Amino acid sequence: MISGIWTEKYRPQVFSDLVGQDDIVKRVSSLVGSFNIPHLLFAGPAGTGKSTMALIIVKELYGTKWTENYLELNASDERGINVVREKVKTFARTKALGNVPFKVIFLDEADALTPEAQQALRRTMENYSATCRFILSCNYSSKIIDPIQSRCAIFRFKLLEKKDIEKRLKVIAESEKLTINPEGVATIYEASEGDCRKAINIVQATASISPSINPELVTTIIASAKPRDIKIVLDYALAGDFQQARNKLLDVMLKESVAGQDVIKAIQKEIWNLQVEPDIKMKLIEKTGETEFRIVEGADTFIQLQSLLASFVLAGQGK
Amino acid sequence: MTWNEKHRPICFIDIKGQQLAVEKIKAFTKNFGLEKKAVILYGPPGTGKTTLAHVAALETNAEIFELNASDLRNKEKLENILKPAIQQKSLTKKKKIILIDEVDGLSVSDWGSISTLIYLISITTYPVIITANNIWGKKFADLRKKCELIQIKEIDYRTIKEILISILKKENLFISNDILTSIAIKVKGDVRAAINDLQTISNFKEVQPSFFDERNKEIDIFNALRLIFKNKATTELLNVFDSVNLSLDEILLWIEENIPAEYKGEELAKAYEYLSKADIFKGRIYKQQYWRFLVYENILLSYGIAAAKKSAKTGFTSYKKPERILKIWMHNQAHAKKKSIAQKYSKLVHVGEKRAMAEFSIIKQIVKSNSEIQKQLKLNEEELAYLNN
Repeated sequence: MISGIWTEKYRPQVFSDLVGQDDIVKRVSSLVGSFNIPHLLFAGPAGTGKSTMALIIVKELYGTKWTENYLELNASDERGINVVREKVKTFARTKALGNVPFKVIFLDEADALTPEAQQALRRTMENYSATCRFILSCNYSSKIIDPIQSRCAIFRFKLLEKKDIEKRLKVIAESEKLTINPEGVATIYEASEGDCRKAINIVQATASISPSINPELVTTIIASAKPRDIKIVLDYALAGDFQQARNKLLDVMLKESVAGQDVIKAIQKEIWNLQVEPDIKMKLIEKTGETEFRIVEGADTFIQLQSLLASFVLAGQGK
Repeated sequence: MTWNEKHRPICFIDIKGQQLAVEKIKAFTKNFGLEKKAVILYGPPGTGKTTLAHVAALETNAEIFELNASDLRNKEKLENILKPAIQQKSLTKKKKIILIDEVDGLSVSDWGSISTLIYLISITTYPVIITANNIWGKKFADLRKKCELIQIKEIDYRTIKEILISILKKENLFISNDILTSIAIKVKGDVRAAINDLQTISNFKEVQPSFFDERNKEIDIFNALRLIFKNKATTELLNVFDSVNLSLDEILLWIEENIPAEYKGEELAKAYEYLSKADIFKGRIYKQQYWRFLVYENILLSYGIAAAKKSAKTGFTSYKKPERILKIWMHNQAHAKKKSIAQKYSKLVHVGEKRAMAEFSIIKQIVKSNSEIQKQLKLNEEELAYLNN
């Protein structure tokens, strides 16, 4: 196998390998069998098989020549819709090789595009519809403008269940000679939140320490998870140690590349767990909302979050 | 002879505006041997630290043995000069006080001599008085433990005015009240500077209150912070940043860094609320290019931050330089490697860069221990070093 990264090494190569999306597999494979597919829109959470499905489609269509007929783009990484259009233009200029009369362009995270950019994308799709099929992937189809939705066949990918992920983990464990006990599987599944890619990454990271995988080991690997760090920040603030709280916050934001809005989200969830009176909770919620508003408006994230932390210091004193 | 030398106090009652410090130094010389063998007089320039040491010697009928930072440059020299002095009986059989002036003038390379100094203090038979502007650096941590600390405060402008008037009386001169007030305020607590200015100005027949420009001290921002953090809000504070040689945006970072050093609880929350609003106006200025918003940014940062407190504050706070920008910069240096690894990784496994960044801790664990993957990703040496760090 070409890759030492298990998410690649064990990426399903044929439709029958895909887990948890039986219904979609049936419909898509029949489309592909006819060698004529419409534009497709794959909606669903991360790690449920959208990119894999696209790869299987092109492999089925073009066999070994798939790389020449396939362009993969990520909307959230490309710098603006114009870059996307340029790349599409260059790629679509030449005709498809082989029997299939079109090439395939996979645009990942299409919902990262603004509605205006999506309008531009729509025109691009129309211009090149003679030579290209688009497969768009997104987390939420509601974020894709109607005109694009109406031009695509929509497939909604389900969150993977425990048995689905367990099935893939078993394949990996056998091939890599690992032992994963049932509790270990449960811990991995919980941490993965139904994201198969994440589950496999956790297994590989854990296996790099020991081939016998148990819940404790898994927990140490994923211990760097961010919500816990945010909790520590809040604990410092509530205990009145503002200096520590702010240092830790900066640390988390820099080292773990956590964005301001994610910090806000974590803080907002954490408010419900605090041992303070309801009216103080409401005060904190209000302040949290105001802070988020200010950040969105373009203020300095760290200054605004410090101001929010100062409110937690007060809450810690029952004020 | 400069007026500073000519009118230097010669007894404790001549020393104005430092009553507490005077009492402490009296007790120290009187009870020498019972408690700590050395004191550190610390405070801003021109507030009378060296004078206080000299007066202490005069009052106790002791001779003074003076060293300054240049004598401390190296360990051997220090030991050669100081060791005999602290052990020998004075020639005239008089008492003796060892004065080590401006100990914070030591440069980084001279830190070693601090441990020698600490050792010499432990064996001294005479009281040691040390002066310094700022004693709170890490390098002085051990020295601080061995010494009693006496704060010499900035002198109130009214007291400075009194001192100036008493000197004028002795010199039999008259200078208008306005000018005296103006000198006293502009020197920002520095008596030595006030007396220098007074002597200069006395040579002219006609002078305006604005004869002198304010001293442009390097510590301007520190003074500004002190004014905002220590005093109650007054409209004079609105101009406090005028003499500071930094942009308002930089000042905002200084305030951000130092709020928690000064405020607690409700004051802290209020101060940060004003700071965050100042930050919002700053954003609006850039976005809309509407520069009049600067007025609000300035008011929030000066009067606003001062108004966050309930009552005026005392005590010396050593303010820190803003560290955030440096931390971000240092992090970005390291971060650059993280990003380039995530980039290579995301190409290989059909996943977005941002997601790779978000899950980097797990990915790092995988890549770190697998040289095969490292080869596939074509990681360069710097990226490998980052992984193994």
